[in-house]
Amino acid sequence: MGSMFRGEEVALVQLFLPTAAAYSCVSQLGELGLVEFRDLNASVSAFQRRFVADVRRCEELEKTFTFLQEEVRRAGLALPVPEGRLPAPPPRDLLRIQEETDRLSQELRDVRGNQQALQIQLHQLRLHSAVLGQGHVPPLAAAQMDGPSERTPLLLSLGGPHKDLRVNFVAGAVEPHKAAALERLLWRACRGFLIASFRETEQQLEDPVTGEPATWMTFLISYWGEQIGQKIHKITDCFHCHVFPFLEQEEARRAALQQLQQQSQELQEVLGETERFLSQVLGRVQQLLPPRQVQVRKMKAVYLALNQCSVSTTHKCLIAEVWCATRDLPVLQEVLRDSSSEAGVSAVAHRIPCQDMPPTLIRTNRFTASFQGIVDAYGVGRYQEVNPAPYTIVTFPFLFAVMFGDVGHGLLMFLFALAMVLAEDRPAVKTAQNEIWQTFFGGRYLLLLMGLFSIYTGFIYNECFSRATTIFPSGWSVAAMANQSGWSDAFLAQHAVLTLDPSVKGVFLGPYPFGIDPVWSLAGNHLSFLNSFKMKMSVILGVTHMAFGVVLGVFNHLHFGQRHRLLLETLPELTFLLGLFGYLVFLVVYKWLSASATSAASAPSILIHFINMFLFSRSPSNQPLFPGQEVVQSTLVVLALATVPVLLLGTPLYLLCRQRRHSRRDPAGRQVGWVGHLPDSGVAGCWPLQATSLPPALQLVPSEVFMHQAIHTIEFCLGCISNTASYLRLWALSLAHAQLSEVLWAMVMRLGLGMGREVGVAAVALVPIFAAFAVLTVAILLVMEGLSAFLHALRLHWVEFQNKFYSGTGYKLSPFTFALEDE
Amino acid sequence: TRVRGSPQASASASRVLLRMLSPLPGRGSAHLVCLQLGPASHPGIPRPAMTAHSFALPVIIFTTFWGLIGIAGPWFVPKGPNRGVIITMLVATAVCCYLFWLIAILAQLNPLFGPQLKNETIWYVRFLWE
Repeated sequence: MGSMFRGEEVALVQLFLPTAAAYSCVSQLGELGLVEFRDLNASVSAFQRRFVADVRRCEELEKTFTFLQEEVRRAGLALPVPEGRLPAPPPRDLLRIQEETDRLSQELRDVRGNQQALQIQLHQLRLHSAVLGQGHVPPLAAAQMDGPSERTPLLLSLGGPHKDLRVNFVAGAVEPHKAAALERLLWRACRGFLIASFRETEQQLEDPVTGEPATWMTFLISYWGEQIGQKIHKITDCFHCHVFPFLEQEEARRAALQQLQQQSQELQEVLGETERFLSQVLGRVQQLLPPRQVQVRKMKAVYLALNQCSVSTTHKCLIAEVWCATRDLPVLQEVLRDSSSEAGVSAVAHRIPCQDMPPTLIRTNRFTASFQGIVDAYGVGRYQEVNPAPYTIVTFPFLFAVMFGDVGHGLLMFLFALAMVLAEDRPAVKTAQNEIWQTFFGGRYLLLLMGLFSIYTGFIYNECFSRATTIFPSGWSVAAMANQSGWSDAFLAQHAVLTLDPSVKGVFLGPYPFGIDPVWSLAGNHLSFLNSFKMKMSVILGVTHMAFGVVLGVFNHLHFGQRHRLLLETLPELTFLLGLFGYLVFLVVYKWLSASATSAASAPSILIHFINMFLFSRSPSNQPLFPGQEVVQSTLVVLALATVPVLLLGTPLYLLCRQRRHSRRDPAGRQVGWVGHLPDSGVAGCWPLQATSLPPALQLVPSEVFMHQAIHTIEFCLGCISNTASYLRLWALSLAHAQLSEVLWAMVMRLGLGMGREVGVAAVALVPIFAAFAVLTVAILLVMEGLSAFLHALRLHWVEFQNKFYSGTGYKLSPFTFALEDE
Repeated sequence: TRVRGSPQASASASRVLLRMLSPLPGRGSAHLVCLQLGPASHPGIPRPAMTAHSFALPVIIFTTFWGLIGIAGPWFVPKGPNRGVIITMLVATAVCCYLFWLIAILAQLNPLFGPQLKNETIWYVRFLWE
């Protein structure tokens, strides 16, 4: 059988790595991804391990990388993907990388700081020029321009105590949302002694910190009096306004404005230069960062792996314990030899016996990976137990198709999956980020097989978008029935529905050769026939599937050397299952073969026979199917009941007897080497050990063993009944799908096709009607029903099939590898 | 159940349909491609033009077909790392599909009751599936 039949043999290997070559050896192992390191320093905290300093240096480097990455992102640039093979750099390069990175980040920080400062300066200059150029005309000047007016005498007449009346100005800029408050406060505090004029800047200025354009309110306050001046200054300070010197004379102001403009121009040039330099630095960062990130990440991983090794007593080499597939041992040894060649002493690997359960390794390709994935989602198998995945490749799509059977829907699903499979190598498809698409894409082979089997079961159910096809002529002759029963036109006009009778000669001409007869899709009682057919089909498929599961357990017993379980567990289980439910299948098939339509009214009922079988009673009205049926049934029930104590007591008694025999033989307590039988649900906990080992065998505690076996027996016997009934979901879901499909056709498409006798009306109406039909088909019948059938097929596999032989309590071999985690 | 108009109208509609179909005389013979194994002719009663379906022939054909895939196919799988998986797939497919088809045909072998058809359907099918 292929390698998927059971997990590969995994060995525990001890590596002796000379200290000088340890780093390069582990780095090479990481590149190959062959082995899983076991943590030998589990009792040591992370801060006390040997290479913690190196790990910390790598982490600091990563922090710097994050800062650089953030800066690049802020500038709106993207980091290119690193290409080529980038092995982990040797430890002596770490210092160089660190210096390089630190220099770059310092440069970047300096340039950024400069840029900030320049921008703030520019902002100030701009504000100043806005204030000056705003055109606030001081009121006195305005009064002078107006010439003599009503106001002038008032001012001129002021004399006396206000001899030193001089108007002063405060000019500045304030944020617009504070302007109203500022104005209010100024008025309240210095009422009457100032005139303030507020105006909004015409252009928006860029805020140096956030970079967002904002408008500012410029103000010009004219006041007189020292104290008022002080108050105003305090208030403007409180509001964080930018205050600028305001010269009275117009020309002075103009000169100042010109100077400001010159200054801001120069500043802008300097700013431009700075930004050019910044983009240069960012370009260097873009080039340098991605490969360094990969290298440092690898380095950190190597040091973390090295931290898991223990140091030998002579401190000359590191000892590592790894799990490695037996098949890969030669490669491992070669790699170690090559990478430690320059150190003089070569690294050594040798196999040691293991006491713990090794991890499970099953190699898959891209086709089998999705099927192994759904098995592993339930639980990874124990070391070397039988893997259900190769059978799941066919039985899962098949059981899905039994619940989904429709040619049209299956064809749509198949084509969709085929499109994905044919386009799977395209880079655009592989790098798509949408999670739902990734889910569908990952299961493309699953969908392909599901669609294919659905087409097949669709042909058998004779349903194509709920319509039946007559590939072969139907096996029911309406004409014969009509002729022989005298169905004249008048008779037909009086009776709305009439039933064909198979006992009339010539009406039933033989079973339809492939699938369900198309006449049933025209019949009003088609559900009666289909229900009976599908229920019996579900039971037959279920009993077959479960019996197959029990048989697979045989391989487990043989492999783990527990032949007693063949006799004490598998045989009673098969007897119970086949004796009761295999007999039910036999009754079903026998009735199919032997029933005749002439005696249809008195046909025996399998259900009543089955119930009476368990109750050891009989119904007089129910005729036996075959002579001697009662004897056969009683025998089978007694046999099945007899297997229960065998199942319950057989294995524990045998194991206890054997233990007593062994302890009698070796009273010194040196037991024969095999790890004790872990009484799980039917799966061994024993794995082949090296001949050199003599591990202490687990003492079997009698009560525990009996209890485990009792649980297993109850689970199996009651499970037989409930699991068989559980397979009836195959019937239920296929019925639901057929009914939904038919309702959609009858309510949507039939309206469009039956519309109007004129040529044009139906054609135009069909376009939106078909659109609705298509959307509802995809949304309800493909997506919703598909997911539903998928889930139920999964449940049937995980619970009903796998609990007959699979324990799923192992763990996967997760090799030490540098491949990205999102694989 | 739909409320129907006058029964006369539906009867006459079926008659129109019949007249539309009758100018196609060769229609019936297209069905007579299957072998005529089946119930023996009954003297006195006119033999219907429908052909009988045999049971033995489909069983032989499909058993051979799936037997070839499931039993003979594994011998021709080329040697390679995936040989075991492919053989498992072939055998499992053959078993599943054959079993499913067999259940379908056995369930219809000896029907205990027949389809219940509406009178319009009887009118139509009676002459169409001649």
